[in-house]
Amino acid sequence: MTGVPADTAPSRRRLHWLDGLWPWLCAASVALSLLMLGALLTLLLVRGLGHFWPATLEEVTLRSGETFAGQAVREVALPQQPGDERLYFTGNRDIESVRWRWVAIDDIAMQAQPMDLIRLERSPWDDFIGRLVAIEQHDQRWEGDAAWQQLTSLLALPVSQRPDSQLLLITASGQAVQQPLANVVSAQAPNAMTWRQKTLAWSQSVWRFLSEGPRAANTGGGVWPAIFGTVLMVILMSVIVTPFGVLAAIYLNEIAHQGRLTRFVRIGVRNLAGVPSIVYGVFGLGVFVYGIGGSLDEWFFSETLPSPTFGTGGLLWASLTLALLTLPVVIVATEEGLARIPEAQREGAVALGATRLEMLTRIVLPMAAPAMLTGMILAIARAAGEVAPLMLVGVAKLAPQMPVDGEFPYLHLERKFMHLGYHLFDTAFHGDDVQAAIPLVYATALLLVLIVLVLNLTAIFLRHYLRRQRGSEC
Amino acid sequence: MLCAPWFANDNDMTSPRLTTSRQPLRLLQDRVATGLITAGGVGVLLAILAIGIFLVWETLPLLAIGDALALTTLTPLAWGTLKAALSALLFAIPVALGAAIYSALFMSARLRSRIKPTLEMMEAIPGVVVGFIAGLILAPWVERHLASALVVMIWLPLSAGLAGFCWHLAKTRLRRRLPLCWAGLWLVPWLAFMVTVALWLTPWIEQHWLGGDLRQLLYQRFGMDYATRNALIVGIAMGFAVIPSIYSLAEDALADVPKTLIEGAQALGASRWQALWKVALTAAGPGIFSAVMIGAGRAVGETMIVLMASGNTALLSANPFEGMRSMSASIAIELPEAAPGTQTYHLLILAALVLFIFTFLVNTLAEVVRHRLRRRYRQLGSMS
Amino acid sequence: MNTRLHTLLSSVSHTSLRTFSQTLLNDQGAQPPRLHTLLRWVTMTLLLVSPFAWAQPSPVSGTLGAVGSDTMAGLMLRWGETLTNRYSDVTLQFQAGGSASAPTALTAGTTRLGPMSRPMTEDEHDNFTQRYGYPPLELKIARDALIIVVHRHNPLRALTRRQVDAIFSTSLACGAETPIRRWDQLPSTRDWSFGSIALHGRNLASGTHGLFQERALCGGAFRNDISEHPGSSAVVAAVGESANAMGYAGYNHLTPAVHALSLYNDNGVAIPPSEDAIQRGDYPLSRDLYLYVNLPPGENLPPAEQALLALIMSDEGQQIARASGFVALAPSTLEAQRTW
Repeated sequence: MTGVPADTAPSRRRLHWLDGLWPWLCAASVALSLLMLGALLTLLLVRGLGHFWPATLEEVTLRSGETFAGQAVREVALPQQPGDERLYFTGNRDIESVRWRWVAIDDIAMQAQPMDLIRLERSPWDDFIGRLVAIEQHDQRWEGDAAWQQLTSLLALPVSQRPDSQLLLITASGQAVQQPLANVVSAQAPNAMTWRQKTLAWSQSVWRFLSEGPRAANTGGGVWPAIFGTVLMVILMSVIVTPFGVLAAIYLNEIAHQGRLTRFVRIGVRNLAGVPSIVYGVFGLGVFVYGIGGSLDEWFFSETLPSPTFGTGGLLWASLTLALLTLPVVIVATEEGLARIPEAQREGAVALGATRLEMLTRIVLPMAAPAMLTGMILAIARAAGEVAPLMLVGVAKLAPQMPVDGEFPYLHLERKFMHLGYHLFDTAFHGDDVQAAIPLVYATALLLVLIVLVLNLTAIFLRHYLRRQRGSEC
Repeated sequence: MLCAPWFANDNDMTSPRLTTSRQPLRLLQDRVATGLITAGGVGVLLAILAIGIFLVWETLPLLAIGDALALTTLTPLAWGTLKAALSALLFAIPVALGAAIYSALFMSARLRSRIKPTLEMMEAIPGVVVGFIAGLILAPWVERHLASALVVMIWLPLSAGLAGFCWHLAKTRLRRRLPLCWAGLWLVPWLAFMVTVALWLTPWIEQHWLGGDLRQLLYQRFGMDYATRNALIVGIAMGFAVIPSIYSLAEDALADVPKTLIEGAQALGASRWQALWKVALTAAGPGIFSAVMIGAGRAVGETMIVLMASGNTALLSANPFEGMRSMSASIAIELPEAAPGTQTYHLLILAALVLFIFTFLVNTLAEVVRHRLRRRYRQLGSMS
Repeated sequence: MNTRLHTLLSSVSHTSLRTFSQTLLNDQGAQPPRLHTLLRWVTMTLLLVSPFAWAQPSPVSGTLGAVGSDTMAGLMLRWGETLTNRYSDVTLQFQAGGSASAPTALTAGTTRLGPMSRPMTEDEHDNFTQRYGYPPLELKIARDALIIVVHRHNPLRALTRRQVDAIFSTSLACGAETPIRRWDQLPSTRDWSFGSIALHGRNLASGTHGLFQERALCGGAFRNDISEHPGSSAVVAAVGESANAMGYAGYNHLTPAVHALSLYNDNGVAIPPSEDAIQRGDYPLSRDLYLYVNLPPGENLPPAEQALLALIMSDEGQQIARASGFVALAPSTLEAQRTW
């Protein structure tokens, strides 16, 4: 590929000063792109996965004598004066009404990492950071280490079998709190954990993130409904888009008269791939939701009319909109596959007496199958990362009711659904507290990027593999 | 070209077992299937056409209201869209074209087959992720370290040149170890190192040469305001998203330039720079143009990045450190709240129509140019 | 049989399709399906869609859809969580788009519950009444306030209404003489050497935006260089990151990264945005939060909606509002609304 040999002796030619320089600038462009890509992925990996690592808790005593416990988050420079300040996550929102604390580093008199600091994850509210004094269960009472062991053994039980117990807690500043066990999701004493325990706890929290629904107004918990919604929407979309895309491609390539009009149409379809996704969203909102959905409601669901059934964004409309958005991708990919089939194959089939349908189904389509598959995967990859049109046609901030359940007809196309990309945008901008949500946003972003990259890689490898196989065959 | 397996599978089709009595059925099936495919194909094409028709239809009521208001509302948005796209292209075009030139003309074949898909993979990273990183992570960092960010931007090309200079001075053995055709890879740690050096040195430079704080200097000297989310941030973030599309098409165009042309030019005594500038770039010019056009189309329509990283201020300002508001972001934020039939609704749909027409035209232009170019190469190829 | 059907119909708002299936199963002879119903059935089967249930519904069940203010998103979701804990079949779906999306959705019929952080305007009210022939039911569900926030190290502590107007507006409708653009124009921030005031606010659709315009700018026009964020927490986060920033947001988004300013009332007393001051309404920018319900007069709400409203008006519901960062309604207001 090196059209110009890299080591041509420069001495014999009149050297332009740019001559030695520009290849390096070009090489640096490649390096810079790779660097940016690598930095982005590393950032997502480190922050997204690091969030689940049990963080060390610090007990901080200020010069004023005040004591609090928390997890150090980050440091920034103080404005207009030398020195830095540090942000601590202190939890205990129900007790102290705030869960963050900015402290100038110069104000810190003492920092310690006592082993007995614990962190409780609780279900309506967020974390508690402090110490465990005792556990009371009916008449029994455990204190000290026994209390901690009792707590871990209680939390190991399934939720329904946990007995009614009260935890007696004390914050670092000395305030005593009673906490019913029912609201506690998990407990950790991160300072006392070994590496192996931390790894175990890490993998458990990663699993919980993937398998649970969001809690505390989307600032905690997991993203399972969002993963599910994304996957379901993408599956529906590919079910819609693949047949139509393939039909259109076959029509354009095999049936339509190859005249100027077809060429224009082809260019038009190709260009639709470059039309901004938000435009498709506008179309989906105006035509599918307001137009078709509104009419469907008036005709068939007029009894419930103040509450809409199809006249609001939902799974069906979102899938249709994205199907329209990815239609050009499928058409272009399939057409490329069709065009690559030698004309001789078609002529041979027809010469042997096959009708056009037989020629298509037995010769052309099997040969174009890899291209169609590639097109579908590319469409899926594009749709999985697309958020803007969904904001208009059917994602919800929180849709605890899954679009698939045990109720007939099992698949509820009119329901709203959660989507990973929108969940990311929503937690980052609409949440109660951006600072608290950012680690989760990182984790969600990582997940989304992984899904999309894996899909794309599959498409690339599939194309390579099938092409090589084809090469050996012919 | 005959592939035996394809026919081996289809014995029954070619076998004489097919009696004439099934013939009408087959023909009927064929006719029905052709009809269905035609109907399906035409239906799909009509659905696509419907997008345009819907947008035009929904903007028609605006004619009754008068366009003066539409103009005043849409002007800042159009300006914001252009400003965002321009700043993204300013960053993306040099990097993408440089990368395309390098990987088409210098890179070793083995490396190229790995690097090209990797860079194209950048395109797959969802806009919402890039927007989040840009808006919530990069923007506050750049605000606190504006001088560092600017120094890094100047320092990066310089350090690339420095790498080249050192390479020319180095011993032949080292040069063999680190050849130019692999530079795209081994420059990565070098650049990372240089960025670290720049970040480490800048506070000192800022203290001694820029009087302590660059932002205050900008404000006092030039009266320039600084907004956290600004054109600079949008440019970097959206540039990142646009680089792969420009790179991919430009690289194709450059790699398709017949090698004989460049070699011929060098045989006639042209330097490498002349061969590139006068021959390769000229020959691939239309292809590169269409690559840039497609990049522009993508930059104009990108929604989530601008929404999250631009601050959404409807300003008519050319200051790169101030925010802007783009049409796509306005649609995304405001359309769900606009009741159908109201003026805002129609205005937003007009914005969508403008986006649609603009990107469609730009893409068509790019496509036509690319088509022409391919024909020209075919002629050149046949001549040689 | 008919009475059972009737109770089913009236007890839970569900599509007629379940009713139809009941008809098919139970009393085919008594009520032959009409053509319309048949058509409905066929179409729906074709669409592979039928949002109806075969299972006998539990007394309180169903999905509550709500569209509206994102200021109240966290609150609505927490109420929803509590409701789901209480009745496992009830779920709340919430779409946050800003207060202006609530009347749109209510009037267009895309939702039945519209939480809003401001009262409906007359136009919005009229649109709804025109479409349905009756006004929407208006309920106050919590107290809130708009706060003006600055960076946590900013020495500024209080502003007068004129100053607020001079900072945020171009129209100066509250009587200020000159616009305030730089920090050194304010007496207490002379030494805050960060040049211009960088302003942050909400997007046009949000109730916060509308209310701030009406109450703090005396109805005037906003400056056009205010960064418009799609959520209040984004405003607070942005102000917490930059020392030269000032912004307005909902009270519940207050974090230690920013400092909320006191406002002078008409008697010249600086009033901090404290819980008491907001509940009593002393703090000038305090407000009620509303829930608009599409309820035809004379009809009862479906049980799921009733359960939500009962929860909101209960002490537990108000406690949740407090813990979400809002302020509970005054007991008298609560009492007055318990029978809507």
